[in-house]
Amino acid sequence: MSTAPSAGPITATGTPSERNIDGQAIAITVFSTVKWWGRAFLPVLFNVTKRTPKLTTTIVQLSFIHFARWSLVTKIPYNGAPQPKQRLRYPHMYFESNFNGGWEEYIDAFSHILTSGMAAFWGSSYGFPKALPVGPFKAYIKENEIANSHYYSAYPEATITMVKAALDLDDKLAPLRRSAKGMQPDAFARAYEKMLTDAQRSL
Amino acid sequence: MADARVHIDLRDLQGDILRAYGNDYDHTSYAFVKITCPPEQARAWFSGLLDHVTTAEPWKDGKPVTTLNVAVTAAGLKALGVSDEVVASFSAEFREGMSSRAERLGDTGVSDPGAWERGLGDGSAHVLLTINAQEAEDHRRALGLMRAAMDDAGGLEIVFQQDTALLTGAREHFGYADGFAQPAVQGASDDKAPGGGVPEEDGRWRALAPGEFVLGYPDEDTRDDPKRTLPNAPADPLGKSGTYMVWRKLYQDVALWRRVMADAAELYQAGDEHKLAAKVVGRWTDGTPLVTHPDKPDPDFDATARGANDFRYSSDSDGMRCPLGSHIRRSNPRDALGFQGALTFRHRMIRRGMPYGDPLPDGKPDDRADRGLVFVSFQASISRQFEAVQMQWLNDGNIFGLGHDKDFLLGDPEGTGKMTIQGRPPFFLAPMEAVVKTRGGEYLFVPGVSALAAIADGTTG
Repeated sequence: MSTAPSAGPITATGTPSERNIDGQAIAITVFSTVKWWGRAFLPVLFNVTKRTPKLTTTIVQLSFIHFARWSLVTKIPYNGAPQPKQRLRYPHMYFESNFNGGWEEYIDAFSHILTSGMAAFWGSSYGFPKALPVGPFKAYIKENEIANSHYYSAYPEATITMVKAALDLDDKLAPLRRSAKGMQPDAFARAYEKMLTDAQRSL
Repeated sequence: MADARVHIDLRDLQGDILRAYGNDYDHTSYAFVKITCPPEQARAWFSGLLDHVTTAEPWKDGKPVTTLNVAVTAAGLKALGVSDEVVASFSAEFREGMSSRAERLGDTGVSDPGAWERGLGDGSAHVLLTINAQEAEDHRRALGLMRAAMDDAGGLEIVFQQDTALLTGAREHFGYADGFAQPAVQGASDDKAPGGGVPEEDGRWRALAPGEFVLGYPDEDTRDDPKRTLPNAPADPLGKSGTYMVWRKLYQDVALWRRVMADAAELYQAGDEHKLAAKVVGRWTDGTPLVTHPDKPDPDFDATARGANDFRYSSDSDGMRCPLGSHIRRSNPRDALGFQGALTFRHRMIRRGMPYGDPLPDGKPDDRADRGLVFVSFQASISRQFEAVQMQWLNDGNIFGLGHDKDFLLGDPEGTGKMTIQGRPPFFLAPMEAVVKTRGGEYLFVPGVSALAAIADGTTG
């Protein structure tokens, strides 16, 4: 387990990697210490990104990424004793994402495809080496990645692509299911083949 | 044609990596040697090999009758006296070895290392000697010399040897032309860029940086780095001009493959089993790609011609011509995953496989003979290149939108994977028993020529 270089108070428990995997899904959680100007810059960046869907088109197209979320942590919530009160000297960026596939391929996609986006999100973090070359960027993420204490997936055997395919298949199967009862065998064969043709990307 | 801006020190690189020796060499033997003697004694024998090692330098006096190349496992480096500290500078997957990574590679069930052939995957393989020969007689002589040198040295034992020979027409046992589609490497094979390099937006192709395949050179990540940093490599002098090698013995059940295709084809397009099998592979038997010739092979197709592999998948995004899960589309998706190949270009390998065993003639019943393919690949990173392809593309279908479906040609050792052949309507191949089974394998390192000398001298640091 490792934490951000100056994030002394932020710790997590659990074995890295194993605790970040549940079935097909992998979680990644990264804390990075943000420079003073990031405190002003990042909320603006988050706002612009949220209001301009075009900026996030590419990440949405990367189907193996379930979601990616960046947020700014300026204080540690206090939940009462025995938790010690902690004060953050610097703001921290909290990045969380879930994905399918390999960790390396996931970071590769961020580096090679979302290069400028990575620079925008992490540029204000201490030690960020740029998104390319990917070697130092991977080392940076590894250095700042923390293991989850608990990670849960509702459908551990399925990936997000599979869940979406199953929903699509269900939509395409439903009309046939409704109309099949009164069909003659020939008509059913034709309707079934049509359904297969329409739904083949989800089979 | 080589890119003059990139200079690769071919004298320091072993042969058959960036450029194949070619099909004139139709006999190849792979001998895995175990070192049972002290490192000094083993190094004396190792030193004697160096004069015979074939480098990548162009041959001025014609092709030699035989070639010799040397690779070592992590255990082999230690047996030759390389310090633990230096061995620790090699990649984790190399140090762990192929059998330790069986689960992630899909080597389970019938391909489990517990059932591998003796001498492979059990830590006893230390040095791999690869001998190529143009004639059977030269082949026998070279093997004799190899054994004599080992006997003279003492404390050495061949724990596994696989003899292979090309099949007629450079086909593999299922009948397909194999091994002619290779990555184009900057400074070595730039002329192969169309279809072999990275697909660019303007329709052109770019050869891959040499560091994708040879250590000590910029790779695709560092080629434009103003700091000129080099990719990770073992500690010098071993890091220069070396490469990682994957060696696998893959048994092919030819009779089962033919039966499965023939049975399935009874329900497919008037029993066209050749077309059905081509759909599984992504090429016709002569190598014609389905994406350009979906209905029948191109009679003029020449696998060795310039541009023979110059095709993309973006015009066939629904897989109607070449199925989304076909073998060649999975193993090298080119632009199929979008983003101008940005999700694929770091996962390329140079392959130098050879078939072993006698062919099963058409129409002959199953003779249960041992036959298949020795799969050999060279890459700078076993995990990023070989393992990623094996895990993410061949043993999983998610990235292609194919759920848990695995590569149907290589098969699923658990016998659970189906294949969808896109069409109107689509056709489904039911799960089948594995037609390809892993019989053993090793992760190796192919040192550069100066690195071989350093190992022999015991000066690896």
